[in-house]
Amino acid sequence: MHFYESSIITTTDGLYCQVYSNEHPHGKILVKPKYIPTNKISSNDLPFRFISGRKMNRLNLWIDPDKLKEYIFAFSKAYPNYVYKSTVHSNGPLFFAIPKDCIERTYSPKEGLSDLMNMPKKDLDEHLETVSELIKFLFESGLELNDFGITYSTLMGHYSPNISDINIVVYGKDKFWKLMKYLQNAKHKDLRWKTYEEWEKFYKKRNRHMIHKKGIYIENMYRKKSEGFFRETLFIIFAVENPDETWFKWGEEKYNHIGVAKFEGIVTDNKNSIVRPGCYKITNSKFMSGNEKCKNLPIKKIVFYSRDYCMLAYPNEKIEASGVIEEVIPNEGERYYRLVIGYLDSYLSERRDEEYIKVLED
Amino acid sequence: MAHFYESILIDTVDGLHCKSYSNEHPEGYIIVKPKYIPKNILEGEGLKYRFLFEKCLVRFNLFAKKEKLLIYINQFKKKLPDYIYNCKDTKNWFFVVPKEKIKTIHDSRKGLQELIQIPKKDLDEYLTLVVELVEFLTRSGVSMNNLGITHSTLMSNYTPGKSDIDIIIYGKDNGWKILDYLKAAKHKKLHWKTDEEWIEYYKEHKTSESLHFSEGEYVKHMKRKRYEGMFGGTVFTLFTVEEPNETWFKWGEEKYDPIGTATITGTVIDHYNSHVRPACYYITNGKIVDKHGEDIKIDNSLEIKKVVTFSIPFVQQALKGEEITACGLLELATPKSGDKYYRLVIGYFDAYLTDRREMEFIKSNI
Repeated sequence: MHFYESSIITTTDGLYCQVYSNEHPHGKILVKPKYIPTNKISSNDLPFRFISGRKMNRLNLWIDPDKLKEYIFAFSKAYPNYVYKSTVHSNGPLFFAIPKDCIERTYSPKEGLSDLMNMPKKDLDEHLETVSELIKFLFESGLELNDFGITYSTLMGHYSPNISDINIVVYGKDKFWKLMKYLQNAKHKDLRWKTYEEWEKFYKKRNRHMIHKKGIYIENMYRKKSEGFFRETLFIIFAVENPDETWFKWGEEKYNHIGVAKFEGIVTDNKNSIVRPGCYKITNSKFMSGNEKCKNLPIKKIVFYSRDYCMLAYPNEKIEASGVIEEVIPNEGERYYRLVIGYLDSYLSERRDEEYIKVLED
Repeated sequence: MAHFYESILIDTVDGLHCKSYSNEHPEGYIIVKPKYIPKNILEGEGLKYRFLFEKCLVRFNLFAKKEKLLIYINQFKKKLPDYIYNCKDTKNWFFVVPKEKIKTIHDSRKGLQELIQIPKKDLDEYLTLVVELVEFLTRSGVSMNNLGITHSTLMSNYTPGKSDIDIIIYGKDNGWKILDYLKAAKHKKLHWKTDEEWIEYYKEHKTSESLHFSEGEYVKHMKRKRYEGMFGGTVFTLFTVEEPNETWFKWGEEKYDPIGTATITGTVIDHYNSHVRPACYYITNGKIVDKHGEDIKIDNSLEIKKVVTFSIPFVQQALKGEEITACGLLELATPKSGDKYYRLVIGYFDAYLTDRREMEFIKSNI
């Protein structure tokens, strides 16, 4: 079942969730809870936010894994309906999913932006005016209003001017690639890309510095045109898949967990590397280390949930990836193997720091 | 007939965002003022727009240009008839939310309780000020349980440095306790407008109400009020709301017949209810001094006993013993039990659509 990734859902019991995939099991929407009320469970290890009259915990997957594990365990007890046991995965990875009858409201990035762009200019504050001008600039790529959306704090109306990012959604993979191509050379007086130093700062956060060689990483990030500054406000552009173009359909494949391993391979296709979950097709995979059961398996796909790995690698580039190896059994067609990075349970163990994709030097 | 706290935010199933506009309400309805109305329901020519919660919303403003407001309200009545209450008791109309149209009630008291539990490290500059202000107000002896937050402070769509902090005080005694405390209280972040600042405000914000006041008179009235000040450079407003057992009137226990627009004078004998919405001044020696050309006939054996206002600029406008002059809609009040009397009402919704918007005021002879 299709539901646009990056949309926002509020639940009847007050959770704010971001939709975490474009494909979903029937009757449920896969999400990452973003803000969780503190009336049932609360953690001092997570940051707190005051949203719509409630003290909320902001779910941060990068706190101490033991503390996160404790919190997720408590979450599973407090909100058992929101923990989804997948029927298509063996050794079920952790998914959060909102049953349709628990949805209080869905917020559509596309509808929100359409309303925003219809606002008279005089009634826009500084932040919204920046959004509006950025979108107008992006129209020069040939994309139209209907191809764009706006999400997170801008969509919900609880942004802080000069602090909050602008999160833009592009509907359709071809449209997104077209936009990226346009941005390769586009100029605008208010547009600038992250400097080497800014990417370096980004590189030092989380576990990136433990995985990537600084020079290569920054070079690879620098070539992305999905993240920059417009009027000195950080903007990030995401792609979401339209219903007819999702690279997999939930339920049409089954996944058997085999083990955890590290592989190398050559990228043959990165078209789907711009969405969540993203996917690189690879060839010539080579087992590097890990569970012996994975040793001779030919890996065809590298799948990831973290946006860090979007557009990281291009065809013919050699990549190394570490994650969960799964046997994929399609309803029709041949079995194959894939490597998955960023299942939510990976954040609860040492896997969080061990899973990655990186581009290798020639 | 039914109590519901004033200044509480209500979202409706049709996407309207409203605030309750009284502490007493007709059965089955909440008297409200619409705050935001989805543009896709009703275009708001002459009104401002805001982008909130994924929608372009029209910010309803009773002080918009009258001809635009008239068109807007007429369209509102046609498109959203369920939100209009034609009141038999007052022969007037009110904006309301029928109970079955309520989607969410945003609890101001609970909101503040939640906010104060957030560790200071996780509060932004604006919320830090809110918490500091609330802690300061409790020095008056009013407990945190009797305070609340509302509007953008509650809904988290505030802009630090721009948005006001809106505080609710539950209970009239608590309201007076805080307002009295603030007469002398000191805090390094607390600032009351000086005479010069009030003069500047008067000149910049010359509203229809202030037309009736000279610069000097305006300053005298405003500087002794303590419901609006600055804290850490941010404007704060205090709204006192009535508890269920202390509303100064009960909806449905009196009927009112509109007589016409009049200016009256009188002496305030009780201002205890002058800090809530609607506010009430009990007066004596009430006399009509101007009928504004209308054919107003009154029974001279009946007294003008009350001056009532829905308009916030006229709350806490006069104190016991002061002579007041007021202009508004004169009504004959017929209680279910007791004697008939007259009252003058300022700030009914219909006033904003007529000449009364510019005519209505309450002024003390201070």
